[in-house]
Amino acid sequence: MLVFAISDKGGTGRSVTGTNIAYRHALQGNDVCYLDFDFGSPTAGAIFSVSAVARGTRENGLHEYLRGDCPQPRRVDVWAESDREGLRTRPPGAGRLMLLPGSEGGGELSALTEEVVGRCVQLFGRLEEEFDLCMVDVSAGRSFTAELVLAATVRMPAVPFRWLVFHRWTRQHIIAADGLVTGTDGLFDVGTRFGHDPEVLRDRIRFVRTAVLEPDAAELVGLRDEQRAWLSACDSELRELAGRHGVGRTTMLGKVPLDPVLQWREQLITDEDVLASKIANVETAAAFDDLAKKIVDDNAWEGL
Amino acid sequence: MLVIGEVHTGLLQNSGEISEPACRQVLGLMSGETVRVSRRPIVHALSPERLTGVDCALPAASGSRIRGVGTVVSRCAVTGGRVAQGSSYVRVARSETDRRLSWSHYLARPGVVEVLGKAKAADIAEGFAGDGAPRGHGCLDLTAITGRFLDLVQTSPLLNRRAPFRMPRTILRWVAETGEPSIGFTLHTEQERSLRLTHPGPFTPAVVDLCEDLAMHDWLLTSLLVVVERARVGATPAAEVAARLSPAVDHLLHLWMPAARVEERLTPFWESLERRPGFSRQWRSLVDRVRDQVAVHTLALLSANAETGGR
Repeated sequence: MLVFAISDKGGTGRSVTGTNIAYRHALQGNDVCYLDFDFGSPTAGAIFSVSAVARGTRENGLHEYLRGDCPQPRRVDVWAESDREGLRTRPPGAGRLMLLPGSEGGGELSALTEEVVGRCVQLFGRLEEEFDLCMVDVSAGRSFTAELVLAATVRMPAVPFRWLVFHRWTRQHIIAADGLVTGTDGLFDVGTRFGHDPEVLRDRIRFVRTAVLEPDAAELVGLRDEQRAWLSACDSELRELAGRHGVGRTTMLGKVPLDPVLQWREQLITDEDVLASKIANVETAAAFDDLAKKIVDDNAWEGL
Repeated sequence: MLVIGEVHTGLLQNSGEISEPACRQVLGLMSGETVRVSRRPIVHALSPERLTGVDCALPAASGSRIRGVGTVVSRCAVTGGRVAQGSSYVRVARSETDRRLSWSHYLARPGVVEVLGKAKAADIAEGFAGDGAPRGHGCLDLTAITGRFLDLVQTSPLLNRRAPFRMPRTILRWVAETGEPSIGFTLHTEQERSLRLTHPGPFTPAVVDLCEDLAMHDWLLTSLLVVVERARVGATPAAEVAARLSPAVDHLLHLWMPAARVEERLTPFWESLERRPGFSRQWRSLVDRVRDQVAVHTLALLSANAETGGR
């Protein structure tokens, strides 16, 4: 299964949510690899706490591979190479967790050539042979990277793939998320141009809300009644807006609550963070766990 | 001087095993050339051979620059309709001149790479199959050649790509030389293995068959170990353990046929590996473990059934 993580804008928490989903999926006993296709700022290494590739790798990064400068991209075994004590040993029953870092200072793709698409197809094909889940972090907004991925998947009709569109729960983000999927040069538009069936593609795209503050959340206990009423009104307004833009409940795969830890630092939320040091909320970990199950659960992806 | 080669082994990307005619189609990578199939004791299909022209540095443990020109032979095989292999090798020979000749010269010697200038066989052998051997850019890359060839099979439109479980490919690097018989098999990383073989008499393609046979059985053993590890016997409920072991029963257990396709003259090598480290011994103990687990689960189901039936 290939899963592409994309977001309408920067700062939605796409990478941090994507990595956490990948991590949880590995904990659930699946072999997982995470591909940092965010060529402009490859920072997945930092989230996995692998300092050697915190800002991408100097040699054999994905960017170099796609350009044809190295035969195979470098792989980093997170269980072996992470600097975080809690990640350095593979928990019993967990699957493999492999990071394919981007190239340090690689820069966005500047053009889409036949060779680049061919290499991308080869890479996806080989990884899919080996891993239950390949999570690909595509950069924010419309980019050559998103086009590359759409062009590559159309050539691999037998390989299942899905898209996750991350957005925050605000007016602008809801409108932008819809635009990224259905707008001009959006996923449908470009996907159809490359030969995807728009109906099939529609069923393979789901939205994930990030940093969501529920009106009944514990964090809001100290608020004045007026503030709470205002938030509640905003929330129902947003729900109505989301429904109109096709970003509503039916197309939503899940939501991740606002968590102070993720506001301060992009990192994996381990069970230790929740249970031992208690810096992160139980709900956040549960949300990631739930998403990690849903991305492969066909019931959550039934046609609309 | 010596022969170096690589064998990549992986699970064929199809939900079930494929039939013999399907094997022929999947491996018919070049028009006009036939796929060779043997049926006993297990269906084994071998693609026609393909040549890749190379003019590049050869691996050297000392780091010295050795230039080689010639062709690499590659082929693919499918065993039991289930296991796919890509295999490449080159016979390294000294060139009679110290300059590159016309391609017709090299094409007349398929699978031979001629070394221009000085080189030591041991240096190349160690550089190719030694642990942590540095592989610089522009060096002969059998991994890339073999991997791409195997990709052709794995991405064949005749396969549905719904493999019953995920398993990494393994890579076996081998070096064969003529001399006093000896064999050394080493596991490096989870996916990489090396084989050093010294055989009496001149090199023949039968040596490649032996390496492919070894690579396949090593992959089977590695895969079964992974399946058993994933099942977490003792840590998960019996029903789940049995469910996780079932792909092994369905797709792997019947494929073990050591030395089935190895020439008589080379079987002592297999036998020595059977003594130490004992491939079949480990395989048998794993198979017993899988079958016992399934049997225990069946018994539990039967007694549960009997209890509810008795009421």
